[in-house]
Amino acid sequence: MQQKSTLEQILRGVALACVIFFFMFPIFWILLMSFQTNETILRVPPSMVFEPTLTNYRSLISGTLEGSTATLEIKFMGNLWNSLFLSVTSVTVGLILGVPAAYAFAKLKFRGSEDIAFTLLSFRFAPPLLVLLPLTIYFQQLGLADTYFGLIWVYQLIVLPLILWIVRGYFEDIPSDIEYAYRIAGHGFWTTFRKIALPLAGPGIAAAGLLAFIFAWNNFIFALVLASADKQPVTVGALAFITAAGINYGQIAAGIMLSIAPTFALALYAQRYLVEGLSLGAVKG
Amino acid sequence: MKKEKEIVQSYMSGNISRRSMLRGLSSLGVSAAAASVMVNAAATRALAQNGFDWERHSGTSIKLLLNQHPYADAMIANLENFKELTGMDVTYDIFPEDVYFDKVTAALSSGSSEYDAFMTGAYMTWTYGPAGWIDDLNEYIGDPAKTNPDYNWEDMLEGVRRSCAWNGKPGGALGSADAKQWCIPWGYEQNNLTYNGRMFDEAGLNVPTNIDELAATAAEANAKIEGAYGIGVRGSRSWATIHPGFLSGYANFGEKDLNISNDGKLSAAMNTDTSRAFHEKWVKMIQESGAPDWSTHTWYQAGTDLGAGKSAMIFDADILGYFMNGGDNAEAGNLRFSPFAANPAAAAPTPNIWIWSLAMATAGKQKDATWHFLQWASGPEHGLFGATEMDFVNPVRKSVWADASFRERIDTSYPGYVDMHDVSAPGAKIQFTAQPLFFDLTTEWAATLQQMVANEVPVDEGLGQLEASINRQLKEAGLG
Repeated sequence: MQQKSTLEQILRGVALACVIFFFMFPIFWILLMSFQTNETILRVPPSMVFEPTLTNYRSLISGTLEGSTATLEIKFMGNLWNSLFLSVTSVTVGLILGVPAAYAFAKLKFRGSEDIAFTLLSFRFAPPLLVLLPLTIYFQQLGLADTYFGLIWVYQLIVLPLILWIVRGYFEDIPSDIEYAYRIAGHGFWTTFRKIALPLAGPGIAAAGLLAFIFAWNNFIFALVLASADKQPVTVGALAFITAAGINYGQIAAGIMLSIAPTFALALYAQRYLVEGLSLGAVKG
Repeated sequence: MKKEKEIVQSYMSGNISRRSMLRGLSSLGVSAAAASVMVNAAATRALAQNGFDWERHSGTSIKLLLNQHPYADAMIANLENFKELTGMDVTYDIFPEDVYFDKVTAALSSGSSEYDAFMTGAYMTWTYGPAGWIDDLNEYIGDPAKTNPDYNWEDMLEGVRRSCAWNGKPGGALGSADAKQWCIPWGYEQNNLTYNGRMFDEAGLNVPTNIDELAATAAEANAKIEGAYGIGVRGSRSWATIHPGFLSGYANFGEKDLNISNDGKLSAAMNTDTSRAFHEKWVKMIQESGAPDWSTHTWYQAGTDLGAGKSAMIFDADILGYFMNGGDNAEAGNLRFSPFAANPAAAAPTPNIWIWSLAMATAGKQKDATWHFLQWASGPEHGLFGATEMDFVNPVRKSVWADASFRERIDTSYPGYVDMHDVSAPGAKIQFTAQPLFFDLTTEWAATLQQMVANEVPVDEGLGQLEASINRQLKEAGLG
């Protein structure tokens, strides 16, 4: 291995620091804002010296927001819980449905398989509002409007195509000979799927699940249109801090920090699966 | 609790003053806010004495769709009194304003019966009404069997009341004899000047009284005040850029958005000499003394900058200035208010207005019960409670504006506000022409203004292009 010169090491370090600074500074600035009041956030010129306060986090957690004119009730923690529940459940359902389907599309050639796969993918192309208004009418008739069940069903429009297409590519990369060998040893189709295909596709499934979770977490419009205020996710709830009486920048910043925490933690935990899964799934042998 | 009730009753009977009542209640450990709710409870009980059957829909439950707004907060704070009066239950969904109208449109257009009544702007009813999504409330207001005899519809400010009524014909005059009352005014905002008194005093500036003085004062403020620009006005590519200060000043010169021919056809009216002169002054003022990022400015930026001391004044909604004069804004307490007539020859201001109103969903299943709520929420008792104890400002009722305690409260904390309102209220109304392409055409007007300010197009050329485009769109829609 070639030895790097000291200068090269320094330059690499500086370049790395610049990149980290560029990407992390907005997050860092938001973190600082979350410990300030509106008055210190909006002062001219901005300063990093301030007396930190936990008021913003306290407001979010206690559910009362001290506005510029009155005390408002906010349901941010409820929104956070809704996001968590909707995202986790939707991805779980998406994985249960999508992984076997992806295997079928990858390994079992049947008539119309490509058409069905592309139809599922096309869910991602449709502008959500175009789909949602007619869907609202159907949901009302079926009694699914304003229910978590209905929302989780609609969230499949986001997570299912993603899981299906990522995992399908991954299954296709698994050499069929391995599965045939296992089958010849006397194992059935389902056992082969569970014992051979699933473990080999593990990183890909984890990556697809994580991406689907992030997409579901960031969704905004589905719950807004189809559900009432008590079922809104954090993406809608965060807008509560922009009021006619002013923008509560401190609470917005604290809200951002709290709402990115679950995805951030999940991404940190699963990042090696994510990189490995995505890169392996993308490369054809 | 008996003692507290007796004190409130004495106040209601006129035996003791408000101050004495508050002092008495305070000695019993009752906060000012709780005292106000108690007073309103007594006023609400008094409502039940006028022979109107408030309990007719007892046991019924209605659901509201509300925008997150101080008006909604005031209603919620007083809601228990309504429930007690009527025996009805009221539930509600509150959504932030950024997404509120998407939610309303989705609910109404899908024919959902989930919400019985909702908050709306008067402009929006130009879409909702003709689409058949909301009911004409005239049939309730005019029905003595359904409306409390003390509702006093005539007590609503005339310009505001009429602005919520339209006959559905493109170009039809608001409040005409055949107009349908699509919504009930709830609270409203005029567009006038809010300026930073501290900055004006320090820089030795006078309060401008017409468009030329406004531009000159803004330029002077821009030059003299460190860290602040001269004037805040909205600039985003949205209809909301046109409707506050800009249209209020424009209308003061007698200018209109659209012409209406004898056969009812509409055409663009903004390519006139007077309009051109006004546009030129407005554009120059923004270029010289407006926010550096003016083209992104909405209600929020215009207000936040004023509250933070980044602008010397705004020509925008009076209640925006009202909100910025409180809370944890750096300039809280420093803001002052003044009526503003852009045209030096005009007798008084002619502010365009935004009206937060209440409307009834046609798909709702409990119309009469919903009307019980609507008349209570827009009634004089709740109006006075909200205006004196909460931020239900500006009230839409003359009786509330005449109330001494309300005037005193506003005058003390918001210098010039009451005078400003009194001077400009007679000329305050929606200055736009009611027609279904309102949002499209007004947004295009804002886009043209942006091009003018960015020097992408000269004012006269921009107005010519705007006129041609509006006329084409009106023709295509069968309106021109």
